[in-house]
Amino acid sequence: MTRKDFNGEVILKWVLFILGVYIIAGALKLGVGTIGEPGPGCFPLIGGAVILISDIFLLLEGRRDTERLFRSRNELKIFIIMAFAFSLWIIAMPLLGYVIITFLGTASISKVLKLEGWLKPLLLGVGTTLFIYLLFGYLFYIDLPKGFLS
Amino acid sequence: MDICFTSTCLRVFSPNGSDEMEELINGLVACLSLVNLVACFSGVFLGTIVGVLPGLGPAATMALCLPLTLSFSPATGIIVLAGIWFGAMYGGSTTSILMNLPGEAASVITCIDGYQLGRKGRAGAALAIVAVGSFVAGTIGIIGLQIFAPILGTVALYFGPAEYLSIVVVAFVLLSNLATESVRRSSIMLGLGLWLSSIGISPMDGVTRFTFGLTDMTLGISFVPIVMGLLGVAEILNISMETYIEPVLTKVRFKELYPNKEEMRRSIGPIVRGSFLGFFMGLIPSCGFISTFISYSLEMRLSKTPKAFGTGMVEGIAGPESANNSSVMGAMIPFLTLGLAFSAPSAILLAALRMHDVEPGPLLFLNNSDVFWTFVAAMYVGNIMLLILNLPLVGFFARIALVKPKILIPIVCTLCLVGSYAVRNSFFDVWVMIISGVIGYFFRKWKYPPIPLVIGMILGPITENNFRKSLKIFRDDWFQFFDRPLAVIFLSIALAVIAYKIFVYLKGRSAPSGVNDF
Repeated sequence: MTRKDFNGEVILKWVLFILGVYIIAGALKLGVGTIGEPGPGCFPLIGGAVILISDIFLLLEGRRDTERLFRSRNELKIFIIMAFAFSLWIIAMPLLGYVIITFLGTASISKVLKLEGWLKPLLLGVGTTLFIYLLFGYLFYIDLPKGFLS
Repeated sequence: MDICFTSTCLRVFSPNGSDEMEELINGLVACLSLVNLVACFSGVFLGTIVGVLPGLGPAATMALCLPLTLSFSPATGIIVLAGIWFGAMYGGSTTSILMNLPGEAASVITCIDGYQLGRKGRAGAALAIVAVGSFVAGTIGIIGLQIFAPILGTVALYFGPAEYLSIVVVAFVLLSNLATESVRRSSIMLGLGLWLSSIGISPMDGVTRFTFGLTDMTLGISFVPIVMGLLGVAEILNISMETYIEPVLTKVRFKELYPNKEEMRRSIGPIVRGSFLGFFMGLIPSCGFISTFISYSLEMRLSKTPKAFGTGMVEGIAGPESANNSSVMGAMIPFLTLGLAFSAPSAILLAALRMHDVEPGPLLFLNNSDVFWTFVAAMYVGNIMLLILNLPLVGFFARIALVKPKILIPIVCTLCLVGSYAVRNSFFDVWVMIISGVIGYFFRKWKYPPIPLVIGMILGPITENNFRKSLKIFRDDWFQFFDRPLAVIFLSIALAVIAYKIFVYLKGRSAPSGVNDF
């Protein structure tokens, strides 16, 4: 289940390379100070240098067999939907409140994962929402956004 | 219990350790409060469930529960979190034996002989041996913690920036070189962790660093959403895409939970050896996890029938599982006495104590010794609870592993989302969690280990602090560094490991063939 994945990891390696360069540039701009009086950029410079040097070795390593990111279109679909669902949760939470968004989010994700029927996802949504309310809102008094229900 | 009478008796019979015994008794009294008992039970129960379920590990679960523990006292908070960690070590072996499915990475080795014992009809005996072994190992580990932690805490009072810096450097070198497949990838993740820890306001200069002009970034990136993302969300995304194959559960009745005399006799040695091995390996950065493999190898070497390993040898489960449990206690010592965390779970414990304004390290024993002793006492109680839970309720816990991902994942997703929000009541943290989860998925697929990033992030501030202080202290005379023998020793160890790795790499390049991933 492996194949040479040129477009995947090589892109990551170059992203890390650019990140390493950016961090070093940023650190130099902050000022690394002197050996006796290190500046605020000194420590990030070390982090950036570790990333850059290790990544250069990786780039020189060249291609290697890697596991495919997504073995099928269905996997890619699930990944995109899950990432989208998470993002939507954050965007909609201040407006709808955690009760509604938790119910909708839990039921939707379970349907994406092919939970059978409609009753089970709805019950799962209700149960999870109740659990979240009892745990966070009632037991631990953590203030969660209530949206228009407030 | 009459504390005065008991402590007086102890002074007579153990005059040197009487103060510590008195503190332990005080800790036990505090631990036996209803809140702490419930906290302990909740932690170990949840930890056992987490250990049974493949995917969500103790670190991600501890990160999830961290915001909830802020409502409690520091001692109660770390009792819950440590209980989860400890319980997960117990729980991981259940599915290894019953389903050939390791609940935890550390329980992988138990699958080898544990499942075979199950197939021979000795699953109950295997579970009992593992539970008893874990209890003994846990007890030995806690005793070790109780003895060594105060001593090391006292010694650590004399540590300066040079010593702390050198210990951290050794930890980073060992983390990159020993615990992972690829040194290069581990180093990249470590560098990322160090950089992420520097985002925000520089503590020594008051200068903002890498905030991209965002107000939320000025406070820095919280450690908890990163852990939830890398270890939790990434794992959830991975499990969502896997084809679920329902595991076959080996049924065990309560009355079958008895090993015979021969099995008990054979497991005593491995349990004791594993307990001490695991405890001392837990002290070494990044070595707690590999203690199970080393224990297995050790038992195989000591056995008169090494070729029988893999066919259902009691020694093959007793030793590794004992090592697994006692390594948890060993790993707690650096975090409690030095304030340095060398594993993801201890990093979360460190974060938890800091959030409670309790600074772990040598001053813990001076300013907050009640926290330490309550914690130690709770571990004794938790250990007993785990033994009681894991034997009669083994069927219940095993059934939890049968819960389908399509039911579990939506619940865990919601908990992660709400939990990361609850840390600072900030949606920024939730975004951080999601982004790190998505990126963590890619890292996972391409074998970039997340643990070095987590450790780099939690140790970054203390590393920078001690690094800059050391440079200032020794700027006038670098030879003064050699007046710090411990610092010299630790740095020498780090250099020796690096030199060895370079030697192996160069030797591998010059050989005709061979695996060499530097």
